[in-house]
Amino acid sequence: MTLPAILPSGATNFEYREMLAAQYANFKRSLDEKGIIFSFSGYVSEGILFSLGEALRQKMTLEDADVTTVKKVFSVFVEQVQNIIRYSADRIGEAGRSELSSGMVIIGMQEGDFFIVCGNVVRQDDVPRLRERLDHIRSLDRDELKAHYRQQLREAPEDGSKGATIGLIEIARRASSPLEYDFEEWDDQRAFFCLKVSI
Amino acid sequence: MTQERLTIAGTERSPEVDFDFASGRFSMRGESYPEDAAAFFGPIFDALRRYLQAPAPDGITLDIEFIYFNSSSAKALMNILEMLEKSAADGTRVEINWHYADDDDTMKEFGEDFSEDLEHVTFNLVSVDG
Repeated sequence: MTLPAILPSGATNFEYREMLAAQYANFKRSLDEKGIIFSFSGYVSEGILFSLGEALRQKMTLEDADVTTVKKVFSVFVEQVQNIIRYSADRIGEAGRSELSSGMVIIGMQEGDFFIVCGNVVRQDDVPRLRERLDHIRSLDRDELKAHYRQQLREAPEDGSKGATIGLIEIARRASSPLEYDFEEWDDQRAFFCLKVSI
Repeated sequence: MTQERLTIAGTERSPEVDFDFASGRFSMRGESYPEDAAAFFGPIFDALRRYLQAPAPDGITLDIEFIYFNSSSAKALMNILEMLEKSAADGTRVEINWHYADDDDTMKEFGEDFSEDLEHVTFNLVSVDG
């Protein structure tokens, strides 16, 4: 979908407004048709995490989702967004202060199950290690995930991971099916990382 | 001289903390997904470490009652429990009450995750009306 940067020649202001609404209505409709409840793309901060998280909890509670499901979705949402905040390789500002990280987070419902997708660019150098961690987590059953969680709880964080492993295990424990993930080349240095979690 | 009581008011995303060092009654309640877990928990670790050099003879009771905590908070919490476990191994009486809403299976399971390997502290899972 392309958006006209300026008023097309010959179009009246009224026609332009109609086109504008039509374009965004289509955009909104296509999100709705995919069952998307919330969709965010851009720079995220802890403040945005908090506000989106509150809206998500409120929306689910108003629609009588059961307490356990609300908690699971919320937990996966927090871990996913904090992963973007900590690991996105597209970031601006000063490290540790007023820094913003770019990514996307989408929450929706498909055939009665909630899903949360997050995406962000990562350094290509980090891809093998992330892939290895996710494949390992995907290979574990419920009891093995629990054991892995308990072990990570007691371990000092790996170098540079800022505790990423335990966050991914937490996500996997709340999921109703194995984590789905993928990478796509982004540019010379970076890859786009995508993780989908069903609850 | 008794160490000054550590109290931190709860917020929408960080727990209420009350460590009364004089009486040995400690508590942490509420939500825990602070912006910066290290900054939030750092002063708690420091105060506890100082206290455990000479804990009160009557021992310690810690009440934990979380609605939700993220994985960074989980690691911090484990760190606190390990400090208490170590002190209990050295002879301090330590009792931990892990409160969870009776309809909250996740928080109950977390209690089991945290209590595993704790041999010297008394760890009670306490169900409360959700």
